[in-house]
Amino acid sequence: MMRRAQPWLGTLVDITADGDPQAESQAESQAITQAFAEIALVHRLMSFHDAASDVSRLNVAAPGELLELHPHTWRVLQLAARMTELSHGLFNIACAPRLVDWQCLPRPGTGESPPYQPALAVYRCEQSPMVCKLAPGWVDVGGVAKGYAVDLAVESLQRAGVASGCVNAGGDLRAFGERDWPVAVRDPQAPQRVGAQLVLRNEALATSASYFSARRHGGRQVSALVDGRSGEPLVTPASVSVRAPRCDIADALTKVVLASGDARHPALAGLHAAAFII
Amino acid sequence: MRYRHLIPLAACAAGAPAFAAQYLNAEQAQKLMFPEATAFRQQDLALSLPQMQQVEKLAGLAARSVNWRVVGAYSGDQLLGYMVLDDVIGKFELISYAVGLNPDATVRQIEILTYRESHGGEIRLPAWRHQFVGKSARTGGLAVGDGIANISGATLSCTHLTDGVRRIAAVAQVALKK
Repeated sequence: MMRRAQPWLGTLVDITADGDPQAESQAESQAITQAFAEIALVHRLMSFHDAASDVSRLNVAAPGELLELHPHTWRVLQLAARMTELSHGLFNIACAPRLVDWQCLPRPGTGESPPYQPALAVYRCEQSPMVCKLAPGWVDVGGVAKGYAVDLAVESLQRAGVASGCVNAGGDLRAFGERDWPVAVRDPQAPQRVGAQLVLRNEALATSASYFSARRHGGRQVSALVDGRSGEPLVTPASVSVRAPRCDIADALTKVVLASGDARHPALAGLHAAAFII
Repeated sequence: MRYRHLIPLAACAAGAPAFAAQYLNAEQAQKLMFPEATAFRQQDLALSLPQMQQVEKLAGLAARSVNWRVVGAYSGDQLLGYMVLDDVIGKFELISYAVGLNPDATVRQIEILTYRESHGGEIRLPAWRHQFVGKSARTGGLAVGDGIANISGATLSCTHLTDGVRRIAAVAQVALKK
């Protein structure tokens, strides 16, 4: 068994490969190196901070412009659009201008933030990998890209022949293989302590809460989580965890459950997901 | 290492970490970063005052320390690069990590060695940190319970770590670049 961690996607990404005990540990390490390369690719393509990323190119594009993006970025944007639809607007990656105004994200360029209009579609996915910018606006895929990167890393480990393992991108994780993986969920009231414990097997778990990002800005509480319908910050003492077959879906659904306060939100069942709130 | 002069040697009674993970020891990290190396030589750095000022200017951060733990990686007599070992403190976490650098001071790879959280305010207590700092990086022999494989929670940002890497890149630029 080999476990390594590197900083990516603004957090620590932790990868465990539990291969055949007879297998060379060098093979496990090589598989982990390849999995980190997938994570690094997502980091480069989807960073809001990096002016050369696909996400930044989409953000500065003029309405009507057709962009050729990496197929990974296209898939994340398509999943985000689907989540917006399934959640009736609770999930919306176009809320980035609010996060910039609250100084949760850096301001791209020097201009003013475009207004956040909840019902307005900022982009449309055409045939992969083409994306059309529809209206002025900024997107931030921070609410789904970590999960997507975890899924890519898991697939990379599986392709390399790793029998079982776990990939954890700052709390959004997925376990694979025929063994149980114990997971502790942070207590939202005391994040250094365990609030719940569970066991995963061939499954993803993502958690969202505002205890690390909540702070005062302009005389009120803000956080890195936004209610897509109103553009208002989600500052709740609750922590939402979602179990799902894939981590990108689990990651996105945590925001839907957090904003709705409904652990049985209708979007969950159709995606074979289940949520719990602590 | 850097904190050692601040603490009496007997101070080690602070509590065990809340969440912890042991990833690699320094030897494993250097082999990963420089698989082609035939020799590793410890060549710790002590920065001069003008070098400290240059580091601060380049990194845009306080240079923080005069002394840096550096390992040179060689194939025969040829220098392949360096690995710099460091620790950073976050909100309540202590991270030991290694930065692999090319001879031209560009960053090649970053590997986390150990990650430890304190239950509460202990992270600010030198005694709490002292039980871990330096040990894992040097020897790797620190025992940590591995009952809990993974933590799920709100994303904890790693700004302190990225600042630390930026500082090390500046140190390398000023004092190691060939």
